[in-house]
Amino acid sequence: MIRHIVRKEFMDVVRDGRFRWCAALVGALLLVSLGTGWVQARNAQKELAAAQATARDHWESQGEKNPHSAAHYGVYAFKPRLALSFVDEGVDSYTGTSVFLEAHRQNDFLLRPAQDATPAQRIGALTAAQVLQHLVPLLIILLTFGALAGERERGTLRQLLATGVGRLELAMGKALGATAALALLLVPAAVVGAAAIVMGSPGPATSPLVRGAVLAGIYLAYFATFIGLSLAVSARAPSARAALVVLLAIWVVNGLVAPRVAVDLSKWLYPTPSAIEFAHTLEQEMANGVEGVDRPDRAAVTQNLLAQYGVERTEDLPINAIGVFLQESEVFGDQIFDRNYGALWDTFKRQGYVHEALAVTAPLLAVRTLSMGLAGTDVEQHRHFAAAAEQYRRDLVERLNGELTENSRTGEVYLASADLWSQMPPFRYDAPEVSWVLKNRALSLLMLGLWLAGAFVVVTYAVRRAEVA
Amino acid sequence: MESGQESRIENTSEVQTVDASETLADSAGATTAPVLEARSLSKRYDDVEAVVGLDLRVGPSEIYCLLGPNGAGKTTTIHLFLGFLEPTSGSAHVMGLDVAEEPLKSKTHLAYVPEQVMLYRNLSGLENLAYFAALGGKESLPTDRLTEILGEAGLQADAVHSRVSAYSKGMRQKVGIAIAIAKEADALLLDEPTSGLDPEASNEFSELLEQLKDRGVAVLMATHDLFRAKETGTRVGIMRHGRLVAEMTTDEIGHADLERIYLEHMHD
Repeated sequence: MIRHIVRKEFMDVVRDGRFRWCAALVGALLLVSLGTGWVQARNAQKELAAAQATARDHWESQGEKNPHSAAHYGVYAFKPRLALSFVDEGVDSYTGTSVFLEAHRQNDFLLRPAQDATPAQRIGALTAAQVLQHLVPLLIILLTFGALAGERERGTLRQLLATGVGRLELAMGKALGATAALALLLVPAAVVGAAAIVMGSPGPATSPLVRGAVLAGIYLAYFATFIGLSLAVSARAPSARAALVVLLAIWVVNGLVAPRVAVDLSKWLYPTPSAIEFAHTLEQEMANGVEGVDRPDRAAVTQNLLAQYGVERTEDLPINAIGVFLQESEVFGDQIFDRNYGALWDTFKRQGYVHEALAVTAPLLAVRTLSMGLAGTDVEQHRHFAAAAEQYRRDLVERLNGELTENSRTGEVYLASADLWSQMPPFRYDAPEVSWVLKNRALSLLMLGLWLAGAFVVVTYAVRRAEVA
Repeated sequence: MESGQESRIENTSEVQTVDASETLADSAGATTAPVLEARSLSKRYDDVEAVVGLDLRVGPSEIYCLLGPNGAGKTTTIHLFLGFLEPTSGSAHVMGLDVAEEPLKSKTHLAYVPEQVMLYRNLSGLENLAYFAALGGKESLPTDRLTEILGEAGLQADAVHSRVSAYSKGMRQKVGIAIAIAKEADALLLDEPTSGLDPEASNEFSELLEQLKDRGVAVLMATHDLFRAKETGTRVGIMRHGRLVAEMTTDEIGHADLERIYLEHMHD
């Protein structure tokens, strides 16, 4: 029996000119945003790859040089655009895509597209994720607000129920009918998205197809939630117009109010220092140290080495004492960085938890977090990349300091051979696995699951108690 | 009907007072099992008693017309048989099934034509019929048979494939009847089905009801139309303030009698 309802609902919807126009518009926006997102991501990835190669070329072409000077010369690490970043660019525009790695400093990220964007670009930048998160739910509302309220108003609900069809069967048929109509625009988008991943992903990612499949599942759960809520409101509202008003209010709260409140509340609960404050604290601690983290004393380092090797003069040491001091300074700096950046990242993480917890008020918050996570463009994966780049910087500087320490004596002018630089491995970044992403976003998964289950319960309750006339 | 309450039940033009539980069908000695039966059926909305202790039986091949002014409880009675409303007390039965206990199963025996048959504007008459017939359990009816049914219901052949948005009320009513025919239901519930129809369409409608009656269908029709009730019905019940105040067989009264009895009850 349900298949008849599904078929009729589908036919009824696709014959409706209003739906055809809306679906064509949303479908076109979705395909265009997917296409432009993919092209932009691929171009960005190409530019990053070219920049990475140039930076590496510069690094390897340094010629004979003191290893510590080379550490100051530094290298760039470029954050790759992951395979699904064309679907959801997340916070990439704000976090930056490259970082300069050098001795003694943990630098901020550079190349933030949002900094260079004109106001028009900022407003007009439409991603596939935005279409899926905002416009498709709006289309669902337009498709389903009159599903039951409209039938009641027109008088067809009485005739339907008089046939002996069960209320839940009717609601299920209507839900599936709306799903079939939505499939007209979502299936082509999914095919285009999958083809984009298979034919040539813009950037690396572990299991991009798995990520894509999970992402599709997340969005389907989101749409199912909206269909359920919409049908529930339609079942209980006194008229189709009232149902539309209520559902539009839900859409506004979900898409506009809740995200704004989540940002403000999370910042209020867990404030972050301003960039100037943060830099000032870092500078002070680097200059003076903090309790438990003392700045290394060059004389003490030298004295320890003399005692360790049983000699009286630095010239007699078999190693370069300056190299040892530089490395100890590096370790000191790392502790300061870990302390300050660690606290900053932890604050971001707490803000993220607040954001995820507030998804109890709006499913969009959960979906947005999961979408960015699976696209590899969220704060957590930016942190993952930043940690990998910082670890590379520390390993590189330690190795260069080791070269200086092991291959020269204190006071000696030492120039490493030109081929040393190519022996230093280039920076290589492995994006985290899907399981890592989902584990990190377990709270959002739970929230989305609760919304889906809640929508099912609410629609069941509402439809069973819906007025017939 | 409430305990101890009595109702005037009239047979032909002679006024009788009988116990409320004794309907005309009982007194007439009806032996066949009723298709539709109300047993002390009551429905109350807050302070308003919409139906009060209704006892009613409609057997196969009977057309029972419920007469009464607006608010008399006719539509509520039909909605109680359809399970759209839960009775406050008493019960409605269809082919022996308690509607409140088995709402879906009882509806398999019912067809319903409201005052305004509302159909899906984007679908044709044939598609509407196919849809409602399928939901009513007649999924396998071929298109030819569905077209034939629409013809039986009086819909012009050239309108079968037209979208319903272009249909007149009369055409929609015919599709409504076609839905009932396709379902092959044991009982047909009609709520003011001829309201707003022109005389010709009303006559065609009456002829269709006759055909259904001849096939053994039990018909319960709520109407304001005394003439139609007398012409079409086999029995007539008059409702007022939720109560069945009079019941009579139509072949024993004239139009004038029915009108007089009706007006008497309205002015009591």
